[in-house]
Amino acid sequence: MKNNPLSVAVHRIRRAPYQTLAAVAIMTMTLFIASIFFLVAAGSQAVLKYFETRPQVNAFFKQEIVPTPQAVDLIKAQLDSTGLIQSFKYVSKEDALQIYRDLNKSDPLLLEAVTASMLPASIEVSTKNPKDLTIIADQLKTQPGIEDVRFARDIVDTLAKWTGSVRVIGFSLVGANVFITFTIILLIIGIKVANRRDEISLYQLLGATGGYISAPFVWEGILYGLTGGLIAWTASFLILLYSMGFLVSFLAGIPLLPPPLWFMFSLLGGELLLGSLIGGFGGLLAVQRFLKA
Amino acid sequence: MITAQHLSKKFGGISALDDVSTTIESGEFVFLTGPSGSGKTTLMRLIMRELKPDAGKLILTGPAKIHEYRRTIGMVFQDFKLLADRNVWENVALPLEIAGIKPADVETAVKKALELVDLTARADLFPAQLSGGELQRVAIARAVVTRPKLILADEPTGNLDPKTARSILKLLSTIHSQLQTTVIMATHNAGLVDHSDKRVISLQAGRIVKDTPKGKYEE
Repeated sequence: MKNNPLSVAVHRIRRAPYQTLAAVAIMTMTLFIASIFFLVAAGSQAVLKYFETRPQVNAFFKQEIVPTPQAVDLIKAQLDSTGLIQSFKYVSKEDALQIYRDLNKSDPLLLEAVTASMLPASIEVSTKNPKDLTIIADQLKTQPGIEDVRFARDIVDTLAKWTGSVRVIGFSLVGANVFITFTIILLIIGIKVANRRDEISLYQLLGATGGYISAPFVWEGILYGLTGGLIAWTASFLILLYSMGFLVSFLAGIPLLPPPLWFMFSLLGGELLLGSLIGGFGGLLAVQRFLKA
Repeated sequence: MITAQHLSKKFGGISALDDVSTTIESGEFVFLTGPSGSGKTTLMRLIMRELKPDAGKLILTGPAKIHEYRRTIGMVFQDFKLLADRNVWENVALPLEIAGIKPADVETAVKKALELVDLTARADLFPAQLSGGELQRVAIARAVVTRPKLILADEPTGNLDPKTARSILKLLSTIHSQLQTTVIMATHNAGLVDHSDKRVISLQAGRIVKDTPKGKYEE
């Protein structure tokens, strides 16, 4: 018996391999673009968040100075008294060397050339409110032994602009592709509906409901979406794995990669859902247009 | 029972049925005769609720929802309307599948319907492997498999040779008498009508010109 709409859909898909190929190809392309933009957007958002939560003001002591604990405590007490700071961290010359070693552990030549005495001690301060950065920075500049004060705000602002642009471009491109894919799925399933015009008319005469007639076409669209989603996700995951080495060194010190498994599986779920919705609605609309006519 | 009261239907200003009034009782066997364009198929489509009348009233017994109503009717067409990618068994089972009948009940009903039309041995064949007479018998099995109260047969012998046509009419008569099904059969076949001794409603230009209990074919 062929009354199961899913098996009817599978049967029809197998009977039209080229139409299936076209439908899956366009679906895969759209979902692949969607997943790449999603990964770029999520990555840049994570980088932005990383910088936002980093100590936002770095004050470096002169290289020849080794601040005493009392001097550091004094600076901390003065900053605490403003009530504006969230965290205060003193990074000694030895700590700086350790950070340097961690960042360059794959390059022994760089490690050999640097000693603790070559690196400055520093203070990392984050504020509760970004607008108070200037006050803290000004105060740090007046402290004895401080040579340089750096803000993270400029980085964050630039990054925020980039992230915003990535989102706008991504949404526009993915939106346009989703529309094109929906139209093509509508067209492909519409052709199949038209080819089965007599069969559908017979179903109606025999008392079939709209749901009974539509279900196999909706399933067909969903299967295109699921297949396209799975291929697109696999491709984007493989590309991510392939680029991991380069990306890890590019994002030195930012703990972003490898992405957690739950994140990648959420991406898979999202792609399958998006693909199913595009395909399912495409199939439904194609057959409903015929039934209404 | 089917009652038509001053029924009219037009297509683009051309009258297909014009002030038709008649009653067909449950359990009757009625021939609808008349030349092409006389309104036979239009009347059947109105009974199927495929069309709505422009004027007059058609009183039909059965469920209000169209799809449920159609499940109470068996349809037989001149061009058989069998699905080429389904075998005989699957074609006959189609109305039961649509109605959501349990597989075990489908099995029993299809078996009985195929026995009735003497096609049990052909159950696994596909339409392309059958003769015209066999195709029409499959279509009749599909029409009776749900045990409908009414069978509408629109030119069921139109594509068949005289001998096969007689066998199809005999089959419909058997179903009518055995299952007490109302049968309305549109036909051009004068020989069949004349030898049947059944009620004949003759249509011309959308009007009933003659309605006789044991009539003959008239153009």
